[in-house]
Amino acid sequence: MVNSFGKSDLGIVNTVLGPVSVAELGVVLVHEVLVSKIPGAEFAPEMDMDESKQFNTLKQSLKEYRRLGGGTIVDRSGMFRGRNVKLYRALSKETEVHIVASTGLGPASMVGSYFTTQQTEPPGPMPLDRLSEMFANEISQGTVIPRRERTGPAGLIATEANKKGITRFEEHLFRGSALAAQQTGATITFQYGREPEHELDILEKEGADISRIIVGGLDRLESDARGDTFKLARRGVMVALDHAGWTPHEGYVSDDRRVELILELFAEGLGNRVLISTNSVGYAIGHDTAHQGFDYLLSIFVPKLKKAGVTDEQVRQLLEVNPQRILSLEGDKGVYKPQVEGADITWVK
Amino acid sequence: MGKVNTILGPIAAEQLGITAMHEHIGFGLPGCDLDTKWWEARPKMLEVTIDKLKHFRELGGQTIVDCTGIGTGRDISYWQVVSRVTGVNIVACTGFVSGDTVLPYFRDKSIEYLADLFYHEITVGIEGTNVKAGAIKCGVSRGGLNELDEKVYRAAARAAVATGVPILTHLSINADRQMDLFEMEGLSLDRVVIGHSDGKEGLDPARDFRIAERGAYVGYDTIGFDTEKGTPEVPAPFWARPRAERLDQVMDLFKAGYENRAIISCDANCFALGWASTEHSVAELLEVFVPELQERGVSDETVELLLVDTPAKLLTMRDPQPNLIKAAKEAVEA
Ligand SMILES: [Zn+2]
Repeated sequence: MVNSFGKSDLGIVNTVLGPVSVAELGVVLVHEVLVSKIPGAEFAPEMDMDESKQFNTLKQSLKEYRRLGGGTIVDRSGMFRGRNVKLYRALSKETEVHIVASTGLGPASMVGSYFTTQQTEPPGPMPLDRLSEMFANEISQGTVIPRRERTGPAGLIATEANKKGITRFEEHLFRGSALAAQQTGATITFQYGREPEHELDILEKEGADISRIIVGGLDRLESDARGDTFKLARRGVMVALDHAGWTPHEGYVSDDRRVELILELFAEGLGNRVLISTNSVGYAIGHDTAHQGFDYLLSIFVPKLKKAGVTDEQVRQLLEVNPQRILSLEGDKGVYKPQVEGADITWVK
Repeated sequence: MGKVNTILGPIAAEQLGITAMHEHIGFGLPGCDLDTKWWEARPKMLEVTIDKLKHFRELGGQTIVDCTGIGTGRDISYWQVVSRVTGVNIVACTGFVSGDTVLPYFRDKSIEYLADLFYHEITVGIEGTNVKAGAIKCGVSRGGLNELDEKVYRAAARAAVATGVPILTHLSINADRQMDLFEMEGLSLDRVVIGHSDGKEGLDPARDFRIAERGAYVGYDTIGFDTEKGTPEVPAPFWARPRAERLDQVMDLFKAGYENRAIISCDANCFALGWASTEHSVAELLEVFVPELQERGVSDETVELLLVDTPAKLLTMRDPQPNLIKAAKEAVEA
């Protein structure tokens, strides 16, 4: 299963079933959500929490994705928005799609008060070192199943800023994510709030390696108007045009414009810094589901790219080479030594 | 006398006996479950919890009201084991400890939605079970009563009127506003305990008299959070008080003849879920605090009033008026 824990040209990626060689990932959707739950929905009497329904719905979507040539899907919602790694493990075994889960928290509106308002005088957030320790442990020791065990590890750190502008608590989350990234060699991905460059500065100031950061949401209308994607790609981060299929009506550029942007990025020589995905939700609990599915990118969007003149090699760059490089835990530094190999249970205490 | 919902089914108020009105099997802020720092093996937690409640029972205690609301560690099936093993009745609360603990899904909901949610938990069941809540919890966020808190207060009042169960609050900060909100929603204040009046957070002994005069109950219900218990490893929490000082405060109200407008309880966690508590147990109510009251001259009748009669009066479900929730809803829709 694992070809190398040490030095390797390829590196390894943490999937929910344990570390695998990046070469095994194939085509990757980097910014999707499997189960998306508004925290607390599980306590509402009107919610149906039947996991067999979640499993069956997701199994169908993942099988279709696999049939179209998909290999790996990344759940980018962090640890508090419905992530269910036990379910993801069963799905991965069933569908043979690699699933990469994320650790991390954010935006602030989707976080429980244990993290924001601890029982101290005065009240304050979970201390930075504890936050980063919690994230890092999910990568090196496995993700937590509350109060019982650790299971398959997280493969990256995900966070998100408020669209009205990053809040103080979210800055804290960004800093905690940056520290955890340095401890583990994992990538940070964030959905930008209002000012992606400023938000990136926060990570950089905390010591995060700029080549190991994904900025998501860059196909929003206002970031296109500002040219954010180009500025950020030139700074060396991985830019994600990750709302394929979304429309100006929803605040995102059209697919036509998305295709144009990709052509321009390649023309400028920035093609090795671009990711594409759809931000689809496989199963939503407590909110409306986005209309795209995990099949959209391969069945609709890629043909659009090709029709516009994007070469097969360039498509491979977008869907395989770039995601594989960024998901590799070794990164450029080779700092990561996994402690888990995908065991079913790592009891805590 | 009447009916009280416990987690093992409804019982007669006469079956309550000595009752601690504000306790916790285990409270933790939402999210603490993900931090392995607080994890402990269930058998160990269960053992500690059972030991404490058994001791409470041996001292004559029969019932606790668990004031852990939605999303902060309320765990009905686990509590049922605890109740069966120890024989202590447990009354569960619907509601939220404070706005701070309201999870994202509920933050934007209307007063009507929240009132319906509480009503459902009192009349149908909690989290898919048929276990019904016997009281409602609401409270004040860090920094004072805020908009979300007020929404929960109004919803709690509506559900209390509709079902006849009492309300217990977290903190006495902004007590006058708390009581105003309940009254605006048509709830009689004799159905309300304004909690943690003896805690250091926002302490104001003069306020106790205003609560009593308006006909609500003063919650002297952080008994045992003593500053004397702090250690270098586990300092006393910021709401702790010196023991004698708390006792003075309680006696001042009693001397003014308001023994019938107070409840006494510990707010002890059998096993705290996301924070480090000093040594604490509901048993201290009977083992330490009651003898201290008696030393100060409090009569056996008053002790009986505090531990049995007042809790029974509060917990007895009073003439439910379910039509009121419907009427309020219709008024909004119209
Ligand atoms: Zn309490």
